[in-house]
Amino acid sequence: MSSFPPTSPWNRVRIVVATSVMLTFISYWRAAAIVLNDLASSAFYACGIAEQAVGKSAPWFIVAVMLFSFAVRAVYVESCSMFVRGGVYKVVKEALGGTLAKLSVSALMFDYILTGPISGVSAGQYIVGLLNETFVTADTHGWIPRAVHNLYNGTPHLNVNLTSVVFALAVTIYYWWENTKGIQESSEKALRVMQVTTVMVVMLLGWSALTLFKSGYHPVPLPTPANLHFSRESLGFLRHSFPEQSLAKMFGLLGILIAFGHSVLAMSGEESLAQVNRELAHPKLKNLKRAAVVIAIYSFVFTGLSALLSVMLIPDAVRVPVYKDNLISGLAMYMWGPLLLRLVFRAFVVVVGFLILSGAVNTAIIGSNGVLNRVSEDGVLADWFRLPHRKYGTSSRIINLVVLLQILTILASRGDVYVLGEAYAFGVIWSFTFNSLSMLVLRFKYKGVRGWKVPPNVTIAGTEIPIGLLSVFLVLLATALVNLATKSVATVAGVSFSVVFFVIFTVSEHTNRKKFALAKQQMKDHFQLLQSDTVGRDLLGIRAGSVLVPIRDYNTMNHLRWALEHTDTKEQEVVVMSARISQFGSAAYGLSTEQIFDDYEQTLFTRAVSIAEGFGKKISLLVVPARDAWSAISQTAHNLDSSSVVAGVSSKMTTAEQAFNLGTAWEAIPEPKQQFLLQIVHPNGKVDTFRIGPHTPTMKNEDVVLLHRLWLNITREPGLENLHHHDILAEALTRLENDYSAAGHEDIVRDLRRNADAGPMPARRIADQVHTVQSEPSRNDGEVKHGDEASSNPEATSPK
Amino acid sequence: MGLLIVTVLVRILEGMFVIGAIGSAVVIVLTGIEDLKMLLGREEQNHS
Repeated sequence: MSSFPPTSPWNRVRIVVATSVMLTFISYWRAAAIVLNDLASSAFYACGIAEQAVGKSAPWFIVAVMLFSFAVRAVYVESCSMFVRGGVYKVVKEALGGTLAKLSVSALMFDYILTGPISGVSAGQYIVGLLNETFVTADTHGWIPRAVHNLYNGTPHLNVNLTSVVFALAVTIYYWWENTKGIQESSEKALRVMQVTTVMVVMLLGWSALTLFKSGYHPVPLPTPANLHFSRESLGFLRHSFPEQSLAKMFGLLGILIAFGHSVLAMSGEESLAQVNRELAHPKLKNLKRAAVVIAIYSFVFTGLSALLSVMLIPDAVRVPVYKDNLISGLAMYMWGPLLLRLVFRAFVVVVGFLILSGAVNTAIIGSNGVLNRVSEDGVLADWFRLPHRKYGTSSRIINLVVLLQILTILASRGDVYVLGEAYAFGVIWSFTFNSLSMLVLRFKYKGVRGWKVPPNVTIAGTEIPIGLLSVFLVLLATALVNLATKSVATVAGVSFSVVFFVIFTVSEHTNRKKFALAKQQMKDHFQLLQSDTVGRDLLGIRAGSVLVPIRDYNTMNHLRWALEHTDTKEQEVVVMSARISQFGSAAYGLSTEQIFDDYEQTLFTRAVSIAEGFGKKISLLVVPARDAWSAISQTAHNLDSSSVVAGVSSKMTTAEQAFNLGTAWEAIPEPKQQFLLQIVHPNGKVDTFRIGPHTPTMKNEDVVLLHRLWLNITREPGLENLHHHDILAEALTRLENDYSAAGHEDIVRDLRRNADAGPMPARRIADQVHTVQSEPSRNDGEVKHGDEASSNPEATSPK
Repeated sequence: MGLLIVTVLVRILEGMFVIGAIGSAVVIVLTGIEDLKMLLGREEQNHS
């Protein structure tokens, strides 16, 4: 791996390892939206599954679970407020030891992987349900052609489960490809989906209130043992020992516990709170708590109330037989009002369901990928899984594994949401239980900083007893144990899955231990890691105006060669940077130094140092953890006062798009900030140069002529003889700004849009204005020596 | 004998659930008050 000759300890290569992740921080509203995309999606299937298992009083248990989720989110807030480094495996291992930590991660993986299939199949059920209902309505109006009618021997009807499977497979494969290419988790998209969902929820609750007033309601039986009616499937292994209806009466409270266990998947998605924690803007803890409150209230209102309303408004005769897998659609159909309006609202429900549930499929892939990446970084999964995709640089092997498991799950379920829900509940309850147990143990073992603790806590004889944490853990453990007995399919599937993953983790850990020992020794021989929370010039010992060279793949280092060739390193330092990308879903805890600078980075930097030695030049080395490469590059260039960034050509986008992305990341940096040059080196040595930050735009010749003509005319006016060209421009821009700020700015937008349509597309225009630098530019003064038209389209750097 | 063991185990589970549910209710009330204070801008520090 290492091409270095043996080095003396005082001659090792110094590498600065930043330990704080470079993130684009998000507001608590956006964080809440990301979590709710997962959590609120449960409302579409949780109550239907619970009612099939325990009978008509299921909504009360859903309400109870949603109330209990307020306590569970408190555990997650405490977990997020602990300043610990390492992945979920390392943190749980510290509390519970290696075996339970591996089981905990296996349960978490089961939870994440099942999220995709249940969401995809459920979305399919909603869509097919609407299509079949539409066929029936169309047929009653005689709108179905006779040929189609004959083909189906009556009203056209799609096989609900089969079509749902096809739909779920299509969505999963679509997101598999998107993730392989490397799509970003967008808080903007999550926020938009939640805004549309909120509109639907408000309409649903408002219209339901009107329906209750106009048409009355069916009472929801109270959650007493006498009102529990378990199905045979819902008793799992107990069905062999007890007749269905006598068990609850025999044990009383046990029936309540079983019913609670069948409803627990209503709070699935709560764990996503930990994943968005590190991206929250300052003040982090306060924003985390705010996000947690928003999430808890929203999900309580949506999931809890819609469950109650479904039993109150949908008649018993159709609720389970027809609408068990698309209960909110059923609710829409039994509102007070004309049929057409109800059908339109149902279509809206299906659209929202599609958006939120298919989004959850994507979140499941991203989350699983993130957790497995971090588990690999923790040394429990072979590095082989994490090797980047040749073209896209993503951890495609992990994505393939996750999607393969999801596809097998979808096929095995045959579109049965109930079976998927039962299995899903296994992952949900056990991952919550392990998390609360490790938090409980860490109360006694971990003495570091904690931002917040779950109340109440009582100190007896100098020992603090975490009563709140213990209580939440007891409920979770009792529910998890009962579920083991009552969810036979879930227990068999969950235990099998956990055992397989446990074996993979154990073998990988054993293999990695030997490999790590060797790598650690090599690292000790050749590299000196300097750990720092933030990146600064002092730490690297460099001056302002350096050249920053981001590297990712040790096979494509042409841009580093170009930078070294064109830079006098006595005058200007070259900083080689590797961004260690933390996947979404893995950012619950920070990485340790060894995790940030691991095997791959060693190879990467060894190659970089070899190239620099070939030129006889010195380079500074830096590793930064980040959520996305663009933020890492722009923030590092900003922190180091770099005058230019030299990058390679991306395989995924054009150079103009690369500049656009870097410009977007630059815009997110708070003021004051300075501009810099982006130079993108093609494999053939051609270089595209962009300025990042606001700068003088390129003007077309006819615009210059127009400006000059205006200047000539205006300077003829008395008293304006000394006017300059820039005064004309300033006046024109001020007027445009005023007009644009006014209410009727649509005219301006329309004109600009027309101009844009008439000319090349924006991306093309950016590309057109790229100035190709063939000659050697001097970067000492941070300017490009190629005249006025230096690649300076503001659209490339200041996207809106 | 078998039923007796099952009954004891079930009672233990029920006990865990009831005690946990009461404690969790206290957690919900206390965190609810804290959240309310936070939303009204009168938050107290709870650092360890």
